[in-house]
Formats: sequence, C-alpha cells, structure tokens
Amino acid sequence: MNSLTKLFGYAWSSRRAWWFTATARTRARFARTALGSFWLGFSNLLSIGALAVVYGTVFNVEDFNHYVVYLGTGLVIWNAIAAAVSSAPSLFEYNAGHLKNTNLNPVFYSLEEWAFQVQSFLQSFFLVLLVLSCFQINLFVNLIASGLLPLVNLVLFLYWIPLILCLLGVRYRDLFQLVPIVIQLVFLLSPILYDKKNLGNLAWTADFNPFYRVLSPLRHALLQGELKLGQSLLILIFNIFGICIALIVLERQRKHLPFLV
Amino acid sequence: MVSEDFFQKRHAYQSSNSVLSAERNPVNREPILELRDVWLRIPVLTMETRSLKKALIRSVTGGALRKVGSGAEIEALRGITCTIRHGERVALIGHNGAGKSTFLRLVSGIYQPTSGFFRAHCPVYPMIQKSFITSPDLSGMQAAKGHYLLMHGNLRGFDAFIDDVIEFSGLGDYIHLPMKGYSEGMGARLLFSMLTATQHDCLALDEGFGAGDARFFERAQRRMEDFIGSAGTLLLASHASELLRQFCTRGLVFHQGEIACDAPLEEALAFYNELFN
Repeated sequence: MNSLTKLFGYAWSSRRAWWFTATARTRARFARTALGSFWLGFSNLLSIGALAVVYGTVFNVEDFNHYVVYLGTGLVIWNAIAAAVSSAPSLFEYNAGHLKNTNLNPVFYSLEEWAFQVQSFLQSFFLVLLVLSCFQINLFVNLIASGLLPLVNLVLFLYWIPLILCLLGVRYRDLFQLVPIVIQLVFLLSPILYDKKNLGNLAWTADFNPFYRVLSPLRHALLQGELKLGQSLLILIFNIFGICIALIVLERQRKHLPFLV
Repeated sequence: MVSEDFFQKRHAYQSSNSVLSAERNPVNREPILELRDVWLRIPVLTMETRSLKKALIRSVTGGALRKVGSGAEIEALRGITCTIRHGERVALIGHNGAGKSTFLRLVSGIYQPTSGFFRAHCPVYPMIQKSFITSPDLSGMQAAKGHYLLMHGNLRGFDAFIDDVIEFSGLGDYIHLPMKGYSEGMGARLLFSMLTATQHDCLALDEGFGAGDARFFERAQRRMEDFIGSAGTLLLASHASELLRQFCTRGLVFHQGEIACDAPLEEALAFYNELFN
C-alpha cells in the first residue's frame, strides 16, 4: 500500500513532465505535415466514411444516418483501444536506453505513453463527433449529459490494460507477434461494424469481451443520451482495481526491467 | 593479470584500511549511502546465452557466473559493504567490467540490489545518460524544457537555465531547430550543457560521459570541474589517475564485482597499480 501511495505521489508530482513529453511526441509525429495533429481525426473520418458506405450496403441498413453514427463512434473508440494495446508490448523496449541509464521511475514511461494515447484519442474523438453531428445533432449534448463517466472509464482502461501488456511483453517476446492477431480477431468479434443482435448465438462473446464492455457504454450514451449508471460504476470499480494491480505488478517487476530490455 | 596473492593483499589492505578509515574518515558526518553485504545478480535471459561458455561471459562482464535452474545469472556486485558520508569524494577504480558502472547504477537507483541492505539518504544523480528524453524530431529547446520539467516538476527558473545552456553550448538560434539536424558534436554539447547546468547533492559520474568536439573540450573541462566541485558528494568512475587525484580523496578498487580495496586515494591507486600492472 505504501509503494502504491508513493507511485501515485510520483505520478502526480511529475505530471507536467510526462504530459509535456507526450505532447512533444505528438508534435514530432506530425512534424512537417500541413495538417499536423488534425490527421488523427481525418484518418478516422476516412475509415468511417469508407466502412460506412461498404458495410452499409453489405448489411443493407435501413437508417444510414444512424448507422454512420453507430459505426463512427464505435470505430473511433476502438481505434484508441487498439492503438494503445498494439504499442504496449514494445514500450519498455522503446525506452531501453533511458531505463538503463537514468533513474526515472518506470511508471513515468507508462504515464507518458498513456498521455500520448489519450491526447491522440481526444483529438480524433472530438473531430469525429463534430463531423458526425451532421448526422445526429445531439452528440455533444449527450456526451456532456450522459457520456462523461463512460469516457472516464475508457481513459482509465487505456492506462492499465496496456501497462499489464507491456509488463508481459518485456518478459515474453511472443506477445509482440500475438497482440496484432488478437486485436484483429477481437475487432471482428466486437459489435462495431454490426449490431450485437447480429451475432445471434454468439452474442454472449460480446459480454465477455473487455474491450467491448468499455466501448459499448460510451457509444450507448452518445447515441441514446442514456447513462447506464450501475454498469458504468461497476466498470469504474473494475478500472480502479485494474490500475492498482497493474501498478503493484510494475513495482514488483521494476528491479528486473533494466535487465529485460 | 591478477596476481595469485590477490586475496592476501586485499585482506592486508582492508585490515590496515580499517584502522586508517577510523582515523581519517569524517565519521562525524552523516552517511549519504549505506551498503551492507549488497549483492546484485543479473539474470541472463536470452536463449543464446544458455549455450555460452562460462569463460566467455566472464570475459565480457567481469562478473562471476552462477547457474540458476535452466538459465544463468551474473553476480555483478558481490557482498558490497561500505558507507559513503556527506561531502566525500570517492573514486571508483577498476578494469573494464569490474563493477564500477554497475555500482554507480545501483547507488543511483537504476538497479536495485538482489540482496543485502542499501539505503540512500539523498537522491543520487546518475550522469551516465547519453541521449535526450524527447524525440530527435523536436527542437533542442523542447528537449531542454522536457529535461527541466523532469528535474524540477515545473518551469520556474527555466529562462535562466535555457540562457545558460544556449550560451555555454554555443548553439545560438540552432536551439530552435530539430535535433535530428544537429551534428554529433552539437548534440553532445547540448546534452552536456543541460546536464551540468544544475547542482546536485550527490553525483554519480562515469568518465565515459562525452563532452562534444575538440574545441568545446577545454571549455567543457572547466565547466565540468565547477560542476563536480559544486556537488555535495561525488562518486567518480574513471581509469584516469590524474582526473581522480584532481577531484577525489578516497578510492574504492573494484575487482570481479567486489570491493578489493577501500582506502585513501593514493593507497587505493597504489593497490590497483600493484595488482593489475
């Protein structure tokens, strides 16, 4: 418990540093591009446009406007989860030089990565919502009225799941190869391009799909303007528990990290 | 390379040193670092190393190899016991792979001991970093800002810091350009200027730390002298006797992960020279 308190204290006291280096990474990523970080949103919008036209036709959807918003909100949230999970196994490898030569607490790198992913997500999320508002005008109202708790849950989830994966990835290199495959499979199994009821007898898989369990309440709040309070509070408790577990594992692994990268 | 009576000599030096230490050490000063029977075992986890010969690993690491289950581990530090007090200037002496850099990393918190007692009573700043925390796509100014935030948690006093860094590194307006366009020397000058712009209570310094091109070297030496001089407590790992004589008064001679001699600097250097030359 004492080490957890210290970690939280360190995370708070160093917040400006990891937020700054994460912002700097975003700037570096889009250095010398004409549109800068707007590319984050545009790339999502291009995918949403293409997939909505193709799958809207394939599924022969009756209400295209509703389908675009359903697919668009689902896809932008999914992309955030997928990006965070995909980059997780190589996080400590990427920072190997610093882990071996500076005495920065390794939690710094996880927080910087988290801040980078959250910044990327929020930039694309708000741009996508802005464009999707042409199809459903009340998206921002719904977000403020019902979507804040699910949004917080998503942001918390983006911290601890990747942290667990990067702690596993630093020890088991097979994860580098495995994660992209699993991400693809989970995407196909998640009701993002299609409705949950289309899964038929396989609908139960969505209930055991942790990514979908975080994605679904936020999308539901945005589309329906309804907060599933009990479910969201349960996910919040689960997230807090997950963060604590991830940090405890990190603290236990800390002494081995310089030798594993 | 090491004489057969190494252990006898070590015992003799340490016996005499314990008397010397009692007489000369500033025992009334507070301890900064306390180590008692500290061991650091580094696991060798790659598949390839399982088939490496013991002698090969020894030649690379200088440490001793120990088999653990199906893998192996290197005993990088073995039974280290010493106390470093506030204001001491300690030279770390030894051949490559003897354990000097590992000791620096341990006391500065990069490594944690496998067993034994270790306590640092103040933050130990490791000056062994050779790269920037930010991406090379970013400017030197942003790298300096990131470094300052890491050190201080806020930007109070940053203007004075960056003025000093720009002036000393001689980068001028180049500070605003992406670092990937810098020459190797420019990058080294910037890093050196940033790391030496702040004073530290306890400094762990490896002589391998670079200082840029030849023209910069003389100025860098003077700044380094001031920087080292301003540190409250100093741990300096080096092969250069003159450098150690300039800054240090106490010497720890490392051999195969152990402290073979802990004595006043001249005695430690004499021990090292007798042992290895």
